Amino acid sequence: MPRRSSLPVTFIVPTLVILLILSMVPTLYAIIIALQNRELSSTAYSYVWFSNFYDLFFDRRFLNAVWVSVKWEFVTVIATMVVAIGLGVLMFEAASPRMRNVYCLLFIIPVLLPRVSAAFVWKFAYHPLYGIATYPYRLITGGLIFDPLSKPATALFAVASVDVWQWGLFFAVIVLKLLETLPPQPIEAARLDHAKRWQIHAYVTLPMLKAPLVSLMFVKMIESLRSFDLIYVMTRGGPGVATETLDMYAFSQGFIESGKVSYASAMAVLMMIATVITFTMLWKRVQA
Amino acid sequence: MRPGLLIGKTVLAFAGFMAVFPLAWTALNSLKNNVDIITRVPRLVFTPTLANISYIIGRDSVMTGLYNSVIACGVAVLIGVVLGLPAAYSVARYPNRWAGDIQFFVLSLRFLPPVAVAIPLMVIWLQLGLYDTLTALIVTYSLLTISVIMWLAIPAFQAVPKEIEEAAFVDGYGAYSVFWRIALPVAARSLIGAVAFSFVLVWNEFLIALMLSSSNAKTLPIVASELSQQGMNVPWGILNASVVLLSLPPLLFLGVLSGFLNSVFRQKKT
Repeated sequence: MPRRSSLPVTFIVPTLVILLILSMVPTLYAIIIALQNRELSSTAYSYVWFSNFYDLFFDRRFLNAVWVSVKWEFVTVIATMVVAIGLGVLMFEAASPRMRNVYCLLFIIPVLLPRVSAAFVWKFAYHPLYGIATYPYRLITGGLIFDPLSKPATALFAVASVDVWQWGLFFAVIVLKLLETLPPQPIEAARLDHAKRWQIHAYVTLPMLKAPLVSLMFVKMIESLRSFDLIYVMTRGGPGVATETLDMYAFSQGFIESGKVSYASAMAVLMMIATVITFTMLWKRVQA
Repeated sequence: MRPGLLIGKTVLAFAGFMAVFPLAWTALNSLKNNVDIITRVPRLVFTPTLANISYIIGRDSVMTGLYNSVIACGVAVLIGVVLGLPAAYSVARYPNRWAGDIQFFVLSLRFLPPVAVAIPLMVIWLQLGLYDTLTALIVTYSLLTISVIMWLAIPAFQAVPKEIEEAAFVDGYGAYSVFWRIALPVAARSLIGAVAFSFVLVWNEFLIALMLSSSNAKTLPIVASELSQQGMNVPWGILNASVVLLSLPPLLFLGVLSGFLNSVFRQKKT
């Protein structure tokens, strides 16, 4: 590589400046708005400093939204990883190379769909009377009605299943590709020691893949923060507040119910601080 | 055949079925009359109709949404390519002591909750008089495309064998022509995958588009979601047809993206 060239500077400086502007301006503005009392209905506003944040801690709907978001994060991340590792190992063990290619192609399809499409597809499928996913239940029980999206106990899981349908299948492909990159010798050695197939994976291959699997989980944790589209289309946060995550509540406070933009922004700022701190710490850990 | 293997194959076949069946069923429903959709027992045999599809294609709101989506996503991806690829090359080939920090900064943009970005941007665009325009949407999406393309292109450029580039320098190429004539063409396959991925990401984007548009700049996902807000009054076949239309463009990239996955993991192996 030549030592003296203007390339590194001319190539990276404009891009970084633009990225910094595009990201810092909204971030700083979000904080400023959160310290004011702006509403959609009027143009007048003044600084109220931390009173929005103070109010949040006594808002039971906000506390519920925090709890729903945490639940959502855990359910989707764990279920995605279980599905991904399970199907990945199964493809590695039970599918011929040709079938692996077919499955890989099929399993990528759901994640490519817009979340709005995926949400619609399953909203139709979960319809209690005419849905294709509830049809087996109607058939077995002789026409009893099961409506997963309108029961508080099942709604969150019904929506989460769509998320897992998209990401779990996609990650299964990645787990398979990771397994294929492993050297065959340790697996052979374990087989010579009469290890059972599940033991080979539990004690040899998956521990060898620990680092990439942890990174994969990290990616899923970030993507799980983007639950809004699914919930907006499928339940709108309902029934009641059973599936109202933080972004859904912030959106409805800011734009549907009361137009309290500053209040919504205070929520978003708290969310931003929590995720940036958590993920920065996790990322440093993953890298170390 | 061992029973375990048989069970494994059955589970896999079921998973493969589950991956495509819901979408295939939606596509089938888009060809049905309403009477064939609203049945307690799902109907596989029916007289197909093209009425839903022609209704969707004939609607102005859908066509405007399609146009907005294509322009907003296309231009944002173009900006992402023009600004993201050179920056990625610079990080990959001329690493300085900030290279790690730059990479982390680009990744950390993905941590920002969309709602936290969308609320202030809405206020900003309103003040600038650009709210509900494609310009606002393109600028906002550029943040997404630049960072994603950069993040994925750095390893793609690193995978280009250094020897090729060094040989070109020996032959008297300058730094810029090495980028243009050597690095870009050699890494092209992976780069196309990265670009396709960024396109799918912004095409599928919903929350920001919802908050930054009210009538003129609505993208296709917003239009499709509005069709459903009219409840059961809208014939289901039309809704299904709009879902199919919305899903087609990302699926066009299926081949490119699965090739991209393969090339990423083949590089790791060597």
